[in-house]
Amino acid sequence: MFSVLSYGRLVARAVLGGLSQTDGDYRLISASYGFGKDFRKGILKKGMCYGDDACFVARHKTADVLGVADGVGGWRDYGVDPSQFSATLMKTCERLVREGRFSPNNPVGILTSGYFEMLQNKLPLLGSSTACIVVLDRRGRRLHACNLGDSGFLVVRGGEVVHRSDEQQHYFNTPYQLSIAPPGSEGVLLSDSPDAADSSSFDVELGDIILTATDGLFDNMPDHMILMELRKLKNSNYESVLQTAQSIAQQAHDLAYDPLYMSPFAQFACDNGLNVRGGKPDDITVLLSIVAEYTD
Amino acid sequence: MFYYICLRRRSRSGTRGEALTSRRAVESGQRAALPVSVEVEQYAKEVLDFSSHYGSENSMSYTMWNLAGVPNVYPSSGDFTQTAVFRTYGTWWKQCASAPPPFRRIPKGFHSKDYIELAFEEPVYPTSVEVFETYYPGAIVQILACSHNPFSQNQPTDVRWEVLWSGEPTKAPTPQARQFAPTIKHINFPTNLLRLEVNSSLLDYYTELDAVILRGVKERQMLALYKLPIIDINDLSDGEEELTDVGVPFGKDTERTQNGYFEKLPYELIQLILSHLSLPDLCRLAQSSKLLQQHCYDPLQYTQLSLQPYWARLNDASLGHLQSRCTLLQRLNLSWTGHRGALTLTGISSFLKVCGQNLVCLELSCCHFLNEACLEVVSQTCTQLQELNLSSCDRLSPQAFTHICKFTHLRRLVLYRTKIEQTALLSILTFCVELRHLNLGSCVRIDDYDVVASMLAARCRSLRSLDLWRCRNLTDRGLAELAFGCKMLEELDLGWCPTLQSSTGCFQQLARSLPRLSKLFLTANRSVCDSDIEELARCCPSLQLLDILGTRLVSAAALKKLLQACPLLRLLDVSFCSQIDMRVVQELSGQFPLVSIKKSFTQ
Repeated sequence: MFSVLSYGRLVARAVLGGLSQTDGDYRLISASYGFGKDFRKGILKKGMCYGDDACFVARHKTADVLGVADGVGGWRDYGVDPSQFSATLMKTCERLVREGRFSPNNPVGILTSGYFEMLQNKLPLLGSSTACIVVLDRRGRRLHACNLGDSGFLVVRGGEVVHRSDEQQHYFNTPYQLSIAPPGSEGVLLSDSPDAADSSSFDVELGDIILTATDGLFDNMPDHMILMELRKLKNSNYESVLQTAQSIAQQAHDLAYDPLYMSPFAQFACDNGLNVRGGKPDDITVLLSIVAEYTD
Repeated sequence: MFYYICLRRRSRSGTRGEALTSRRAVESGQRAALPVSVEVEQYAKEVLDFSSHYGSENSMSYTMWNLAGVPNVYPSSGDFTQTAVFRTYGTWWKQCASAPPPFRRIPKGFHSKDYIELAFEEPVYPTSVEVFETYYPGAIVQILACSHNPFSQNQPTDVRWEVLWSGEPTKAPTPQARQFAPTIKHINFPTNLLRLEVNSSLLDYYTELDAVILRGVKERQMLALYKLPIIDINDLSDGEEELTDVGVPFGKDTERTQNGYFEKLPYELIQLILSHLSLPDLCRLAQSSKLLQQHCYDPLQYTQLSLQPYWARLNDASLGHLQSRCTLLQRLNLSWTGHRGALTLTGISSFLKVCGQNLVCLELSCCHFLNEACLEVVSQTCTQLQELNLSSCDRLSPQAFTHICKFTHLRRLVLYRTKIEQTALLSILTFCVELRHLNLGSCVRIDDYDVVASMLAARCRSLRSLDLWRCRNLTDRGLAELAFGCKMLEELDLGWCPTLQSSTGCFQQLARSLPRLSKLFLTANRSVCDSDIEELARCCPSLQLLDILGTRLVSAAALKKLLQACPLLRLLDVSFCSQIDMRVVQELSGQFPLVSIKKSFTQ
């Protein structure tokens, strides 16, 4: 049952564990890649944006923080650019982290503060997005995460998924979302509070892989295909992580436009009585991280 | 010896710098080559204190804490959230009826209206200070350095502030970003605490600052070892010879009077002449003769006293010296004074016990020495107080504010950025029924502003101006009661109050209830719409200042109606209003040239 690779990984970890005896901090080595829908390439606007998705990677003295946000496309029909909300949210959260205005064990706090800061902007921002924040407490070697909506994260250890976030949907294709609505429409448009986000915390080990992504990935690629790609990740350096992130995103992108492929999205629709097939064209954002040792 | 005589003669005619260099020239041959000091460049580590800011407490948008660290915006220009912005700009606040009249005897060189204190990591002898101004530059009027290290554990003793640079308020030719690095004076102590003082009166919009660099050297340059005592002070006083010539006043007249003809002037005339002198000059003049001492110490010269320009040097002893002259004091400005232990309860008590009985106006903005005991003394001694300013006294504990209830004659009360709580405020409003001007801006500890509004409407019917900037939970209910009860209201600042919704009709009702309205700020209320503007046009012909920043719902046509109906309008802020672009602004400005139409940009 054990492949040579996973055996080798076990041995390596034992050796590493024995050798390092490290009381040292952990860190995340992260890379992002993605595609905007409609073949809009990942034009880097402000920070990292792929279509209406946005993400960030930030670090502070005590923690490494990742975030993804999926802008809800329906706003386009009302003349609002859906990417503005998600990009501003992620940029604001990044700034909060860089300035240390957060607690590593409270990722919901980052969302709450980020949302509050967006309301302090003189610009009348409009729009909504999902959000997923992952925080690695370096010294405590603990991961704290929160998720609002249908983006999410997986934690892969030893080739298996050991943790994952839950999707939050109000109804089909309507995820939980943070939003700033035009005045007067608060009763009509969905606006979930940051407190509605799911939180989780767990310890991490060296070599754990954390994949944070928007639903563009999870709706097009089932777990086993993602795991297959992740098995190819050999080294804990940025180039390898980036390469793997790129291949995952590329594969999801190819599958999204395959009309005959039975994507997880199509499967779910069928389970609910809709006779559909094929991928789901959507913005795809993949943020891939691996837990490594912190070296100065 | 001959060489020494030559040196003295040269010194007498030259400047101190020349004397130093000539001295150095004599001795330089004996010294080895001087080591080059390494220049250290630092960004501010922490913002310690400031007088005001635009943003919310606990926010990082438009707040003073953004001045620490590396620049976030520079070299871009524009109105960005990541900059440090003060609460006011221009003369719009000074023009209002709610503004107190200025104090007399302000020294000519003192222009400062706001300040910010920054701490740096390492104390250095400063060689240059550079400020990144990213929007409407030109406001910086003074840069000072402090001898005290704010990170040291010791209590501050012998705190000295030295002015590194000082200038007039200016206005840069464009609103674009710039680096401001004036030539600074060299001081003889290392510093890691700087203070910037600003005055944005000439600017067309809020100035915004991004970062400050302090450049300096760790070790004092060898030049400074040539201390002043080595040079005979007589060499440097150029004027000394002139003074000795004027030994006999007014020359040959046989009718010798003690003070020349001066003492023949009527008492009141001398008093009038003296009333134009600044305070330090008045004190110096008192030392010149007994007559002038009598004049300079006359309590009639001290009916108004502003000690704010002297904040760096004022201490308990100074107050003690001034005490005997201030028995007729009516207006006292102690704003910005007394930090780091310079003023204590003893000094203040002693002063106010002598001088408080006639006090009508007391300015205590940013007075960090103020604690509950001090405020209690104020309430016991200054029973006639009508104006009290506690702006940014953010270290005053909530229970201290209950003492304000004793000022039953209070007409003007400023509580901007204080920690006052609901119960104390309601008590104050119950007792202080003569209130005309009330500032509750950024009072974040108040739980329910609707209740406060209700109390105001019930008790403070003479209210003329009300500042509710950033009052986070005022609703249409409270606003309606306020408009109904306080019919004399002329100025109302409801900026950044998110819970007011235009759809309730509250703004329209406000316009109908307050026909005398001259100032209305609805900054960042995203629900302001054409109907509100049209109702203002219909009902408020006296409108002078209007701010509707950040709404998507107001059209150019409605604004035109307003401009036509309100001939007194002087300020219209339409920044970030989606339907009002630069073309519209230019068109309206052309048609209504007396109105300053503001449209901020983010590049």
